[in-house]
Amino acid sequence: MAAPLTLLFLLAVTVRAALFNSSLKELISDRVEVVSPLTAWKRVIEGLALLDLGVSPYSGDVFHETPLVIYLFHFVVDYAEVTFMLADLITAGCLYMAVKDYNKQVFRKQKFALEADRYPLDCLELIRSPKEMHYIPLKVAMFYLLNPFTILSCVARSTCCLNNAVIALFILSTIKGNLLLSAVFLSLATYQCLYPLVLVAPALLYLLQHQYIPVNFRRPNFWWLVAQYLFMFGGSLLVVVCLSFFLLGSWDFLSSVYGFILSVPDLTPNIGLFWYFFAEMFEHFRLFFLCVFQINVFFYTIPLSLKLKDHPVFLIFMQLSIISIFKSYPTVGDSALYLSFLPVWTHLHRFLRNIFLVSCLLLASSLLFPVLWHLWIYAGSANSNFYYAITLVFNVAQILLVSDYFYAFLRREHHLTYGLYLKRKDGSEAAMVLK
Amino acid sequence: HTAGCFITDNVGQFFSSGHTNNWAVLVCTSRFWFNYRHVANTLSVYRSVKRLGIPDSHIVLMLADDMACNHRNPKPATVFSHKNMELNVYGDDVEVDYRGYEVTVENFLRVLTGRLPPSTPRSKRLLSDDRSNILIYLTGHGGNGFLKFQDSEEISNVELADAFEQMWQKRRYNELLFIIDTCQGASMYERFYSPNLMALASSQVGEDSLSHQPDVGIGVHLMDRYTFYLLEFLEDIHPASKTCMNDLFKVCPKSQCVSTPGHRTDLFLRDPGSVLVTDFFGSVRKVEITMDSINLTSVVSHRKEEPAANGELQKEVYSYSDQLPVSEIIHQKPKQRDWHPPDGFILGLWTLILLVFFQTYGIKHLKHIF
Repeated sequence: MAAPLTLLFLLAVTVRAALFNSSLKELISDRVEVVSPLTAWKRVIEGLALLDLGVSPYSGDVFHETPLVIYLFHFVVDYAEVTFMLADLITAGCLYMAVKDYNKQVFRKQKFALEADRYPLDCLELIRSPKEMHYIPLKVAMFYLLNPFTILSCVARSTCCLNNAVIALFILSTIKGNLLLSAVFLSLATYQCLYPLVLVAPALLYLLQHQYIPVNFRRPNFWWLVAQYLFMFGGSLLVVVCLSFFLLGSWDFLSSVYGFILSVPDLTPNIGLFWYFFAEMFEHFRLFFLCVFQINVFFYTIPLSLKLKDHPVFLIFMQLSIISIFKSYPTVGDSALYLSFLPVWTHLHRFLRNIFLVSCLLLASSLLFPVLWHLWIYAGSANSNFYYAITLVFNVAQILLVSDYFYAFLRREHHLTYGLYLKRKDGSEAAMVLK
Repeated sequence: HTAGCFITDNVGQFFSSGHTNNWAVLVCTSRFWFNYRHVANTLSVYRSVKRLGIPDSHIVLMLADDMACNHRNPKPATVFSHKNMELNVYGDDVEVDYRGYEVTVENFLRVLTGRLPPSTPRSKRLLSDDRSNILIYLTGHGGNGFLKFQDSEEISNVELADAFEQMWQKRRYNELLFIIDTCQGASMYERFYSPNLMALASSQVGEDSLSHQPDVGIGVHLMDRYTFYLLEFLEDIHPASKTCMNDLFKVCPKSQCVSTPGHRTDLFLRDPGSVLVTDFFGSVRKVEITMDSINLTSVVSHRKEEPAANGELQKEVYSYSDQLPVSEIIHQKPKQRDWHPPDGFILGLWTLILLVFFQTYGIKHLKHIF
C-alpha cells in the first residue's frame, strides 16, 4: 500500500503547492469560515512581529496561540507553507496507520466472535471481510488530504492543521496501545485547544480494552491504568504549561488562550453557533449562557462513554465531531478531521437514513457561505440572519450526519446480537423503531 | 470730498444703536404638506435677512418639515412664495440648522438661552453677546397665549417671556425684535417684561391670521398674508436703506391682511422712529474712517543665501523619492529577529522530547511502530 499512498501524498502536495502559488492564497486566508481568531495566520505573524518589537504578543486582543506555536514559528515562519503541508501529510499518514491497525483489530475480534458462535445466523451479511476493508486506510487518507475543507485550511495557513496533526498523532499512539505517547499527545492537543480534553474517556476505554482490563470499578487493575494515564496526561500538561511560562516569562498566555476560548469575547462570525447568540445577549445573562454553551461540549462525554464503552474508536469519532460542531470557534478544518473517518464506517451504509438530505445540506451550505457573506458584508442586501441561517443549516447537517452514523452503528450492533430479521416471540415479523 | 462730508455728518447715526453684530432666529413650527406656507414664510424672511447681510453663521434656521423635498411637491427642490412661481425662496444655499423633529420647544428655548450640551456644533448655537441685535421670527399655528410646535407640544407666552428675561440677565442681546405670524399672535408678546424688546404680530387676540393665496399647480396655500406683505416690503430694503420701524409697523393694514397686525414698543428704550429696519434685518458693518495713512513694514525678513564655503559644505544630492520615508521601506534589509527563545526553554523542551522518545522508542519497541 505504500505506492498508492505515496501517489496520494504527491497529489495532495501538488494541489496545495499550486494553490499556494496562486492568487487565491490571500483570499482564502481572510475567509471567516476557514480561519478563526484562534487559528488565523495573520495573527501569528502579528504576534511574532510584536515579539520582535519587544512587546508581549498577548498584549491586546490579537494573538491567541500557545507559546509552543510561537517557538515553532519563530524558526519556520519563512517555510510556513512547507510546515503546513507537512502537518497535513503527517495527519494523513497517522490516520492511515491508525485505521490500518484498527481494521486489523476489528477483523480479529470478529474472527473470535465468529468462532465463538456469538453471531446469530441470519446476520452473516453484516460480517466484514478483509477484502472490503483493504482499501479503507487509503480512503481515509484520501478523504483527509483531498477534502476541500482541508485544502482550504492548509492554503489559508490556519493552525488548525497543526491541531489536527497532534490529534491524529494521539489517535495513532492510542491505537498502538502506547500509554505514554498517547498521554503526551493528548496533553499537547488539550494544551493547544482545550476541547480535546474530552478524548481522555475514549483513550482510557481503548487502552483498557487493549490490555484486556474490563471496566470494573472494583478491580485494582482498572484503577491502576486510569491513574497511570491520568498522571502522565496531567503531568505532561503541567510540564508543557510550565515550559510555556519559561518561554516568555509570564502567565498571560493562560488568559489569552484559555480565557479566550472559554469566555468567547470575539464575536466575529464563523461557522459556529456562538457568535450570533452572544452578539444579542444581554450582559446580565452572558455568563449563564456561556456556561451552558461550554458545558454542552463537554457534557456528551459521560452518556456516550456509557453507551459506547465497547467501541472506543467510534467514541473518538463521535467526540471529535461534537468538538468540531460545538466548540467556540470552529472552522471547516475541524470538520475535515472527523469527516475523514467516514470511510471506516462504510459498512454502516445500509442503515443510514439521511444520506441524501445530509449531503445536500452540506453541499448547499458550503456553497452558500461565501455567497451570503458577500451579500451581507459587501452588497448590504442581506444581514447577519442570513449568514447565521446558513451556519445553522451547516451545523444541523453535521449533527444529522453524526447522529445518523450513531444510529446506524448501534443498529448494526443490535442486529449482530439479536439477528438481522427481527421476529417477535410468536415468529411474526417485527420492525425496529428508534424511540 | 462730498462723500467724506456725508459720512462725517451721519457718523453719529452710525453709532446710535449700540450694536455690533446681528443674529436671526427663524422658526417654522409646523410640519405636514398642507403647512407649506409656514415654511415659505420662514424661508422668505431667511432670504431677506441673508440678502441684507446677515451671514449663515449668524442665522439659526429651524424648519419643522421639508417642503422642498416632500414627496408631494410637484416642483422638487423649490419653495415658492408667490403664485405663478415667481420667487423661489429655497434657493441654492439654504442652511437649515434644526430640521424635522429637532424643532422642539426645548431646543428652541435652549438656543435662546444658550444652555445647550457641550457637544452642540456652532451652527446650532445662538452665540450672541450684549452688543447683538437679534431678530426672532416665529410662524406656525397658534392660539391665545400659545404656539403649537410640531403638532404635539406648545410654547406659552409666559415661557417665551421668561426665556427673554434669561437672555437679558445673561446679557445675550442688545436689542431684540420679535415677529410672530400666527393666529392670535399678539397674545404671544403680551407677557414680555424684559427691556429692549420690540414685538410685531400678524393678528390680535381673537383674530385669525389668514393665508394669502393658493397655487393651483402646487395645490397648497403658498404664504400667509402678513409675511407676504412683509416680504414685499423687505424686497425694497437694501443695506443702506434708511427705512425705520414705523414703516414696518404699517406693513399689511387691515384692508390687505383682514386681521389687524399689532406691535409693542413700550419696553424698547429707543424711539421706534429712529430705529432702522436694517438694525435688525441686516448686518450693517460699522466702518471706521481715518484720515491717516499707514506705512506697512515688512514683517518677514529675507533669509540671505550664504555662499557655500569652498568645498566644506557638502550637499547630499537626494533624488526625490529618497527624501521620503518610503526609501527606508524599499531599501529595507531583511529583518533581524530580535527575539530569541530563552536557552532554558530550549534545553527543557528538547530534554523532554528526547526523554519521551527514548521511553517509547527504546530499541525493543521499535518494531511495534514500523
